[in-house]
Amino acid sequence: MTDTSGTSGVGGGDRFEPRITAFVCNWCTYTGADLAGTSRLHMASNVRIIRLPCTGRIDPLFVIKAFERGADGVIVSGCHPADCHYTAGNYHARRRFAVFHDLMGFVGVDPARITFSWVSASEGAKWRDVVNDAVSKVRELGPFTAYRTLNDHNVSADHFDWVGELAQASLGEGGEA
Amino acid sequence: MQELRDLARQLLADETVDVVVGWEDSPRGARPIFAATPDDAGKLIFDTRCLHDLATYLNPRRKQVTDLGKLAIVVKGCDAKAVAGLLREAQLERDRVVLIGVRCGGVCEDSMAPEPVALTPETVAPRCFGCDNREPRLVDHLVGEAQPEPPGPLLSLDERVAALDALTPEQLWEYWTAQFDKCVRCYACRQVCPLCVCERCVADKSRPQWIETASHPRGNFSWNVTRALHLAGRCVGCGECERFCPSGIPLATINRKLQLVVEERYGYRVADDPELKAPIGDFRLDDQQEFIK
Amino acid sequence: MSEALYLTREALQELVAGLLAAGTAVIGPAHAGGPRIPGLEERERPTAKGIYGSLEYREVGDAAELVLGPGMPRLSLKQFFLPQSEDLFAWKQRGAEVAIRETPTTFNPRVVIGAKPCDAAALEVVDAVMNWEYRDELWNGRRAATTIFALACAVEDQHCFCPSVGAAPDTIRGADGLLTPVDGGFLVETVTDKGRAFVEAHRARFAAAPDGAAGQARAFRDAATAKVGENTRIDAARVQDWIENHFEDPFWATLGVRCNGCGACTMVCPTCHCFDIVDEEEGVGCGTRRRCWDTCQAGKFTLHASGHNPRADQIARYRQRINHKFAIYPVKFGDVLCTGCGRCVRTCQMGQNIGEILVAIDEHAQR
Repeated sequence: MTDTSGTSGVGGGDRFEPRITAFVCNWCTYTGADLAGTSRLHMASNVRIIRLPCTGRIDPLFVIKAFERGADGVIVSGCHPADCHYTAGNYHARRRFAVFHDLMGFVGVDPARITFSWVSASEGAKWRDVVNDAVSKVRELGPFTAYRTLNDHNVSADHFDWVGELAQASLGEGGEA
Repeated sequence: MQELRDLARQLLADETVDVVVGWEDSPRGARPIFAATPDDAGKLIFDTRCLHDLATYLNPRRKQVTDLGKLAIVVKGCDAKAVAGLLREAQLERDRVVLIGVRCGGVCEDSMAPEPVALTPETVAPRCFGCDNREPRLVDHLVGEAQPEPPGPLLSLDERVAALDALTPEQLWEYWTAQFDKCVRCYACRQVCPLCVCERCVADKSRPQWIETASHPRGNFSWNVTRALHLAGRCVGCGECERFCPSGIPLATINRKLQLVVEERYGYRVADDPELKAPIGDFRLDDQQEFIK
Repeated sequence: MSEALYLTREALQELVAGLLAAGTAVIGPAHAGGPRIPGLEERERPTAKGIYGSLEYREVGDAAELVLGPGMPRLSLKQFFLPQSEDLFAWKQRGAEVAIRETPTTFNPRVVIGAKPCDAAALEVVDAVMNWEYRDELWNGRRAATTIFALACAVEDQHCFCPSVGAAPDTIRGADGLLTPVDGGFLVETVTDKGRAFVEAHRARFAAAPDGAAGQARAFRDAATAKVGENTRIDAARVQDWIENHFEDPFWATLGVRCNGCGACTMVCPTCHCFDIVDEEEGVGCGTRRRCWDTCQAGKFTLHASGHNPRADQIARYRQRINHKFAIYPVKFGDVLCTGCGRCVRTCQMGQNIGEILVAIDEHAQR
């Protein structure tokens, strides 16, 4: 099966570059990531950030959707407990993520593919570490092609490659939809 | 079960309720009956074939049932926990249903056996193992004689969970994707579950479509995982989802896993007490977060 | 049917091996392959639902896997002609440019050995709607690629009622050939040109029927006919007539209230064929259009875009199921949309029993 995860930045050449989607809260982690950028910290560039108001808004379906659409790994990050901008959003998220984390492990998704973290607005360096760590762990695990092509045995062997190629092409050409 | 029949007749006669929902004997073994007349009330039974969680009929979206009027329903311990769940989530008002609790010593795996089945390790349903509610408490009436504890099954749900917990991610992936390959997306699991009462299930939402509706394994994965998550802390372990699945997917094992997770992480065990707060939707400042960096 | 031939168990083994070697898939009733939890293989019992044990129709790698005797696969043959999820085409789009890649409608050859006669007959019944105003080339392509040998049935249990609905334990409808169990093997009778061509192509495997085989086969089939004669018997025409003229009868309310709308009956039914079509985006500007099994018992099956739902409760939906199968389809196509396999009865955990329902309707009709 053609590896359709493709290259996405750092390094180039033949090394597999994972695609990581990060769901982060606006007030802490997003700002922390911004700080990492303005501080010119060096980190892997494989991560696409999706900003939400709060980790309490993150539905496990977002993570599942990310895997369906080609993410090899996911990061979920927000404010530390007691620091939530909306007071208790991250407390609700914490329980939800705990159950989600345990269930995904139970059904065979390697826990190393999903990273949960608390990163505050001042923790640019921590964000760098979380990102680099997630990228290297997922690179080691390899592309998560198995998920998005889950036993689609009704189609001819090269069908998904065709669709995947298009996904590649459309993303590469600036995502014109 | 004469006590039950007499009680049902009395509730109908003095117009406390319009319908008594219980079980009858039939060409298909034990099955639900909506007894609205003294004759029908005379058909009520309770034996080891009465597996059905009749609380599923309390779903406020079942118009054909709500149209019948005020209900009395017969509940085993697990069923009473489901009713408590509905009360807790304001899907039901307590004074709109009469609960007839029945003392239960366990059920077999086949509601359609022609005769009541004696419970042995071979015949007892795995769901009954470890039951803590053989005499339901959330009831208006309690009928039946005290029952002995059910025998342990040949293979309990906890043993299945433990065996799966011991596998590697690759083995688990192979096992569960093969199981989800069998799913045909009939949603029988959702329809029978007494706690799946959402007016619009997230699986039916199409703008946007979060859960792929086609019954390929990728869509099935999303559906089964999401349903399990939405039941975390709410599932009462009635086991009906697995019984109803026409494809034979071990759904009760997944739901049992999450029951064990909330028990271990939050000290929560589902009970037939509507005042008990469900774990998801609640929180403590010192909740476990070992998996968070 | 043609003159009967004989296929020994050994010859069947060789026949299957030859077919597989030539790249022809062989499908038949076999024990479910898995999956098992590693470490618990000995302790897990296959999910047993009454007579099904762990039988299912699947591709086999060896004739020894085929279970050619009593027992009914849990799901019907439908999945091999109308898969539970099937890609129709993939698309890519950029601006106004759209490219489509359609799923081919020619398929690799397959042989089904040991189909239940009710399951084979069901295919013939559904052929009518699949070739009605629109010819379903995916269905037709699979039908064309498949040679079906049904296995005469000994009648599974009290829930079978095939003779009342245009089938029989030894019906040849939908089959290219019929196998009947006799000593040492099977009596083989071909039904269609395709069946005859198959036998000709593998002539060496088939022997002349030994003396007494025809008698044994007849005895087997007569016994089955007698046995199923004790089961539910209705007059389908009378039932159809009652249904057509009693749409608002209070009888329907007694049926719908117990039903959960789970749809399991429609999934296991060999003649139910309703499907949903969805477009699934799988990337930016590209995706796949698929169809997959749907059920008239689902609450939103008839939900209109306006928000109106003409079948808004389970009573209306359950009535629809009986109506479609036993009145609407016969009016349109001359066939009851049911072959009496009894799976819906065995599968329904709430105790809905179509035999009981049809008998009740037939009694109403005779008043």
